[in-house]
Amino acid sequence: MAAPLRKRFPSGMVLLLTSVVTRVGVLLLLCGIAWNTIYINFKVAHNNARLVELSAGSTTRFFYERAEAFFGLFGDPLLIAQSSGGMTWSIRLMGVPFTDPIAALTVLSRGHGLELGFALGLLVPLLLALLFGRVFCSYICPASLLFFTIGRLRRACRRFLLLPEITLNRGVAWGLLLGGLGATWLFGQGLWALLLPYLAVGHTLFQGLAFGVLSAGIGAILVFALLDMVFGSQFTCRNLCPTGRLLGAIGSRPLVRLHRHAPACPSRCNSCATICPMGVNPRADETRDCSLCGECLVVCPVNCLHVGVKSR
Amino acid sequence: MKRRNFILSLLAGAAAPLGLALLGRLPERWRLHRVLRPPGARPEEEFADLCIGCGQCASVCPNTCIRMLNFERGLDDLATPVIQPRAKACILCMACTQVCPTGALRKLPATQEGMLAVRMGTAVVSEDLCYSFSGRTCGSCYHACPLPGKAMTVGLYEQPKVNSDYCVGCGLCEQACVQMPQAIRVMPRGYQRSSGNGGAS
Repeated sequence: MAAPLRKRFPSGMVLLLTSVVTRVGVLLLLCGIAWNTIYINFKVAHNNARLVELSAGSTTRFFYERAEAFFGLFGDPLLIAQSSGGMTWSIRLMGVPFTDPIAALTVLSRGHGLELGFALGLLVPLLLALLFGRVFCSYICPASLLFFTIGRLRRACRRFLLLPEITLNRGVAWGLLLGGLGATWLFGQGLWALLLPYLAVGHTLFQGLAFGVLSAGIGAILVFALLDMVFGSQFTCRNLCPTGRLLGAIGSRPLVRLHRHAPACPSRCNSCATICPMGVNPRADETRDCSLCGECLVVCPVNCLHVGVKSR
Repeated sequence: MKRRNFILSLLAGAAAPLGLALLGRLPERWRLHRVLRPPGARPEEEFADLCIGCGQCASVCPNTCIRMLNFERGLDDLATPVIQPRAKACILCMACTQVCPTGALRKLPATQEGMLAVRMGTAVVSEDLCYSFSGRTCGSCYHACPLPGKAMTVGLYEQPKVNSDYCVGCGLCEQACVQMPQAIRVMPRGYQRSSGNGGAS
């Protein structure tokens, strides 16, 4: 039974590698959007490769010319360059908007309606959550790449160090979501840039690369990284992140999910539940909060787990 | 018991951001006061409600004059856009107004009518500092003004006079001023002089 399953469905290693590749891609995209700002500035101020070289050096000229050639493929380089912007919070890629559900909740909580483009930007994130569950957390979130790396380091250290794995009650993340909405309603939205790890990463990258300014978000990233190192691998993702908790609740019964072939599953093995960075127990056939990261598929000794379309 | 744990953790979780937001509120006199929002920005209260700090305005600004705030105004305004005209002034290209996803910046066309609809602030001339008011001829601010003759007129020795009905507050005059410190400053609309450090930024 195990052999045909492995042929039909992606194996755990494939999922893990895909998740790393897509997250690195998102990270590079955020860097690209920050550099795009510099390109737009050079395009409008100089509009000439030689002038760019004279004012900023030959390396900048190289990137300027490549960017010009790339954007030129689609039309007027300046318009194309200006059609992308923002960060994981609210982003436009070639004019297509994507909106974080929490950003929408923030605007609503302050008593304003949503602009059409802003509301339409919610479609893709919500559909992703409904169809695949919490995949944002292990395939898109640029902060979770950092936490994933820290988790791997912890796993390597566990041979000679006793490290805790603390899982808090789900209420904490819900409380952070409600408290964050309350704080933005009372004072201002600035808090989210510190409370949401991916937003802190976005602000740090954007301000650092486009303006050479150290963003306040770096402090939040350091705190989250420290929590991850001390209290558990992917502690922030599992216990604190309000977005993850919200997406996990939206996608608690996703179309594509983890399946367990119960007859093959040995009764005394608990490796999948131990390794799960999101605190899901596949042995109890839990699907809520599963981000399809593939960790459990790798460790399962009998290959009784697979990811596939909901059968019933 | 399970429900009680959940509610207790919920309260603990909610206390953290509320406490952080309270701690992050800078006293009024420590805040950066002279804050110019990008063109097309709604009045400050409404702007603060709508702006989510996504940075799209800053990333399309061809003049890179829009910066994101850090803690200059406390946690409340973290990551909101700001223009500091002495460093780099707004060229009124209106690219930022086209991309704002939440409508914190109203969409304005890049025409003279669009320009005149901008209400960022008003330029204020300090005659003590101005070169032209001390017997020399300068006129840098007048030549930098995108609405010459309307927002700014010059008299004898090119002494500038700002017409606050037309001045949009782009800050190009402040950027161009040859004096150090600048003799012309843009004051945001609704700026109260009593509440702060006299507009130093």
